[in-house]
Amino acid sequence: MLSIQHISKEFGPVKALNDVSFDVPDGQILGLIGQNGAGKSTTFHSILNFIDYSGSIQWQGHTLSAEDFNHIGYLPEERSLMTKLTIEQQIVYLARLKGQPAKVIRPQIDDWLERFAVKGTRKSKINDLSKGNQQKVQLICTLIHQPDLLILDEPFSGLDPVNADLLKQAIVAAKERGAAIIFSSHDMEHVTAVCDQLVMLRKGNVALHGSLDDVREQFGKTELFVTTDWPAEQLRALPGVGSVTKRHGNRYVLHLTDAAAGPNIFDALTQGHYIEEFSQQPPTLDEIFRLKVGEDHV
Amino acid sequence: MSKTWVVTFETYLRQIKSWSFLFMILGPFVMIALTVGISYISANSSRSSQQVAIISDSKVLRQSYLQQHQDGINTKITTTSAAKKALKANHLAGYLTISTSNQQLRADYHSSKVMGNGLKAQVQNFLNQVQTGRNYQEAKLSAKQKQALAQTPILKQHVATKDGATNLAKIISFWILITMIYIILITYSSITAQEIASDKGTKIMEIIFSSTTATSYFVGKILGILLVIVTQIAIYLLGGWAGYGLAMHNAGIKRLVTANQSLVDSVIHNIVNLNLLYVLLGVIIYTILAAYSGALVSKAEDASKAAQPVVMLGMLGFFAAFPFQNNLDALAVKILSYVPFFSSYFMPMRVINGTVSLGEQLASLVVLLATIALFALYIGRQYQRLMLQTDSENMWQHLIHSFKH
Repeated sequence: MLSIQHISKEFGPVKALNDVSFDVPDGQILGLIGQNGAGKSTTFHSILNFIDYSGSIQWQGHTLSAEDFNHIGYLPEERSLMTKLTIEQQIVYLARLKGQPAKVIRPQIDDWLERFAVKGTRKSKINDLSKGNQQKVQLICTLIHQPDLLILDEPFSGLDPVNADLLKQAIVAAKERGAAIIFSSHDMEHVTAVCDQLVMLRKGNVALHGSLDDVREQFGKTELFVTTDWPAEQLRALPGVGSVTKRHGNRYVLHLTDAAAGPNIFDALTQGHYIEEFSQQPPTLDEIFRLKVGEDHV
Repeated sequence: MSKTWVVTFETYLRQIKSWSFLFMILGPFVMIALTVGISYISANSSRSSQQVAIISDSKVLRQSYLQQHQDGINTKITTTSAAKKALKANHLAGYLTISTSNQQLRADYHSSKVMGNGLKAQVQNFLNQVQTGRNYQEAKLSAKQKQALAQTPILKQHVATKDGATNLAKIISFWILITMIYIILITYSSITAQEIASDKGTKIMEIIFSSTTATSYFVGKILGILLVIVTQIAIYLLGGWAGYGLAMHNAGIKRLVTANQSLVDSVIHNIVNLNLLYVLLGVIIYTILAAYSGALVSKAEDASKAAQPVVMLGMLGFFAAFPFQNNLDALAVKILSYVPFFSSYFMPMRVINGTVSLGEQLASLVVLLATIALFALYIGRQYQRLMLQTDSENMWQHLIHSFKH
């Protein structure tokens, strides 16, 4: 388990992290979300000992040592490889730095290239690969030594939906193997799809923390999905409705100011008749994110 | 295999496989081959035009001259008309006609240039010798009279050849050593600084530092570059040895080397001792400084500027050594032979001259070794922070922050 307790970091007058705490148990995926500059990369750099910080970060009950580096897979936000090397040379070099013998890694390379559908062979120069394929090679470098702790900074950035699915499968496979995984993303769909828990950072502080369901429940069932012939103005005039968003056709989302207003709205819309759609749900992660970010601008 | 060695071999192989390394290695060989080739072609083409023909009505006289002197003589031309033709065609430097009239020898030199001093002395000597012989014959002198007239004064030079050779050996050894340090230093300071600076601020450094410690990576890089230096020196030694073997097939060079064997031995003795260790340690400390300098630049694009301070320091040591080569008792020499970065230039000077005890040499070596160890440790600790820095501060601002840290 990765345990982060009360870490703080200041860059001059800027407080990049302020008393941040959370745990990532083995076999779980934690999504770290937040706006640019919220402190996500600083958190990763603290875990990896790239910067000094106050507080405590422990891996399996002890402070990270040089030996633990062998069990970490790290993907930085900006991609970077040694462009003059071949795919094989690059993968083997980085794996050897993780303490893996070349003879163990080499036989696995073709399989990994196939899994990630890399357009190129093990002898292809990194420089000759497209940006997307370079990114896949970097992902392979991060995963090939079967790390117990995976730290992925914006791993889905720049990937098309097909490749994003391949990465999701790889992340889930690592989780099933028992790895503790922490990744950052701006795409809430990916976070929702694979994360067991999430931490939202805002200006270096933990703004939200918990399982996805818990976080969503905190906001109550304030989203009402309806299909009705009522015009939007009439819907907005209903008691307990804050605003209305038209989806398409006669489908709307009513944003409630009070979740308890749901039954009254149901009665008003149906009046004892059939209604095609009426579903009261908590806000999506995307909406929660916008909501929390919006608080900064109030 | 330890991670340090993984980095060492990656750095080494990347450098060795580069075109720039190949050009660097082949450069001196190509230069030597070109120089020798051009000289050979030039010498061959000009040799015939520098020769002199000997013409004489007397076959005995001509043969007598040719028996005594063969160098620079065209023996194929035997007549005046052939000589004139060859001279006009610029195939001869000149021709010498030797004749006798009333028992008096006469030589006439025909050329577009004045007779060289060597040839003039050679001809004069030959004429005197033959003329004297004929004069004795003509005078019908007794053997005793001939012996009395043959008496010549004695001029003998007494030169202390051993001291002269020793001094020359010292000068040659001094120049070989400091030039060797200087060339290696200038070449590899740039390579090292660029090698390090090109990684600066790249995310690959984050991946590497998530795999191994900065100190281990730094030491691996330095060892990789030192292996490249050792490879280059080994190639040059092998090339030199092969070249020496080939050159010894040439009778002239073999004669030259044999005649100066004691000088060659002295030079080798002056270099292959503690001085070689000074060269190696000097290269190591400058390489570490170059690596530090590379880590201080603000971005990879500034790599070319990174080596400048190190090159300047190396040049300072090199040029500072000049004025003191004949004044080794100066206090500055004694002090600088203990100061790291300068001791690699100044202590070998004193060792070659024999004006320093073994104890003093070892003390200076200890200072140098301790500095290298402390320097590597200090930079190793700063290395991660410096390499991950992506701000826009310049090299000197980074240096100040580095000291503050």
